[in-house]
Amino acid sequence: MSRGRILVVDDEDIIRMSCSRTLAPEGYEIKMAVNGLEGLELLGKESFDLVLTDLKMPNMDGIEVLRTIKEKWPDTDVVIVTGYQTVETAVKAIKLGAYDYLEKPFTPDVLIETVSDVFAARSKKEKPS
Amino acid sequence: MLVKKSFHSLTGKLILAIGTLMIAGSLLFWLFLFKHQEKELIQSSVKYGHSFVDYVRKSTRSGMLTVQGRLIQQTVEDVGVTEGIMNLRIFNSKGKISYSSDRSNIGTVLDKNSELCIRCHGISGPVKDTPNWTISKGKQYRTLNIVQPIYNEPSCYNASCHIHSKEQRVLGLVEADFSLELLDKSIMQQGIAITVYVVAFSFAISIALCVILWNFVSTPLALLSLGMKKVTAGDLDYKVAVIRKDEIGELANTFNIMNGELKKAKNELLEWGNTLEKKVQEKTEAIHRAQQQLVHSEKLASLGRMAAGVAHEINSPLTGIVTFGHLLQKKFPQGTEEREDLDVIIDQANRCANIIKGLLGFARASAADKALTNINDVLHSSLNIVRNKADFFNLIIATDLDPALKRVRADAPQLQQVFLNMIVNAADACEGKGTITIRTSNVTGNKQDFVEIEFRDTGCGIRDEDIEKIFEPFFTTKPVGKGTGLGLAVSHGIIQEHGGKITISTKIGEGTSFFIWLPAWKEEA
Repeated sequence: MSRGRILVVDDEDIIRMSCSRTLAPEGYEIKMAVNGLEGLELLGKESFDLVLTDLKMPNMDGIEVLRTIKEKWPDTDVVIVTGYQTVETAVKAIKLGAYDYLEKPFTPDVLIETVSDVFAARSKKEKPS
Repeated sequence: MLVKKSFHSLTGKLILAIGTLMIAGSLLFWLFLFKHQEKELIQSSVKYGHSFVDYVRKSTRSGMLTVQGRLIQQTVEDVGVTEGIMNLRIFNSKGKISYSSDRSNIGTVLDKNSELCIRCHGISGPVKDTPNWTISKGKQYRTLNIVQPIYNEPSCYNASCHIHSKEQRVLGLVEADFSLELLDKSIMQQGIAITVYVVAFSFAISIALCVILWNFVSTPLALLSLGMKKVTAGDLDYKVAVIRKDEIGELANTFNIMNGELKKAKNELLEWGNTLEKKVQEKTEAIHRAQQQLVHSEKLASLGRMAAGVAHEINSPLTGIVTFGHLLQKKFPQGTEEREDLDVIIDQANRCANIIKGLLGFARASAADKALTNINDVLHSSLNIVRNKADFFNLIIATDLDPALKRVRADAPQLQQVFLNMIVNAADACEGKGTITIRTSNVTGNKQDFVEIEFRDTGCGIRDEDIEKIFEPFFTTKPVGKGTGLGLAVSHGIIQEHGGKITISTKIGEGTSFFIWLPAWKEEA
């Protein structure tokens, strides 16, 4: 039994691979999408606990992906991954319901810690119900 | 001399005109007077002559009535020697000289055509209104000739001698020649005297005129002319020294006033020209400065955009390097050569990540979260961070913070980043020993209130050629690995975003001062 299902949406291969190779050994089930549209398509077919999405992508950017997820699948948590963090975008993302944001370049430890935080919060939220 | 002594000058012309009029007038006057006097003198001479002839006629009357020829001749001779009498003759009616002061003439009969006869009898008949005197020119002097007829009277034709008949009208005539020597001499003397007087008078008048014109016209006019020449030559300070109350004085006064006005106008024009030049120069410099500043900030801005782009592109590969480095690390136990190599790779990747962070800081300086901030507080907290660092053990950090410092609207963490950067740079410039002075004060520039923060070190100073570049990203004079060359670029961006500016004052070998100006918050009273 996996610790949770995570969808990584990023147009860059190296980020998808880094996330997958870091998180898979930790017991998470990882699926990947190369852009926002593909990610949303996948989300329509399967359910995920967490979506890690890049902010700047062709076709559909991370903010749009976040907005759609929060609209259609409010139970799914979102962490924004960005190489260009500014206070404005961070505030905007949190206001739209993102759980956290992750600054590139990140180390495996930081990624694992951020993801662990999300799942710890999710389990706290689920327990009372 | 000031005045040209020629007839072209005003004085010359005036003197010539007045002198000529004077001489002509005097001559006419004296000539008239002279002629009048001469006429008077001649008339009195004629009168005298008639009296004399009358006297002769009367004194010889009794001799004639009694026919005493010798007595008559004696009387004529006696009277004839009177001074001034040249000839005294008595003619009978036939024109024969009966008696004469000169005996040799007696008996001479005048020719009928002689001047004396013609005077009364004429050539063709008797002449009416016969003048009884004439003046004729002699060798030296003129001669006055007086003739009086001896008319027939009852006592004549009734006399016992019966020489003359009753019908005879004129019995003879008495004629006398008077010398006008005295009169002519007197007239000549008078003429000479008058000429001398006229000449002397004209000369004196001319000299007087000269003096008057010289003093009242020529000299002041020459001074005025000199003044005008000076003004033409550009000497606007010249004042004509004519202190008088007449028209020339007024002219000089007007001239001086005009000259003063001219000078004033010229000065105004000059001043205006100078000010204009200065203003143009100032404006040109200001435009030049503004342009330089614009170019500089534009350069920094485009560098920032480029840096952000580069940083974004490099972040993903760096994430991969770090992630896979860590994954490999787990496969090699501590102490193996492979593990050490991997550690180096991860360290260097982290260094790259730090550079990228700095670059993004430079590009991101615009996103400030501003609040009312006390700069002194931010400085204190910045100093607390660096004080315990080993690099600062041998440095003296002095503070001179103005307790009345105005507050500013600022992003305190960003300002702290700037201040830390300034302090670290100052410490690096001091190379471990020296003094860093931090001073704050309220200043006013360009009609606006600012807060000034000065960071002064006693370090090596900045070379002139480096000052231009120190705010550019990646420019550093520090050893490789020690500085990224982003500190001042980021600081510059942050301060500019806060509406402030950074200026530098430096001297090689003596130290550097960085001045940060931030707009002061207008406290409501």
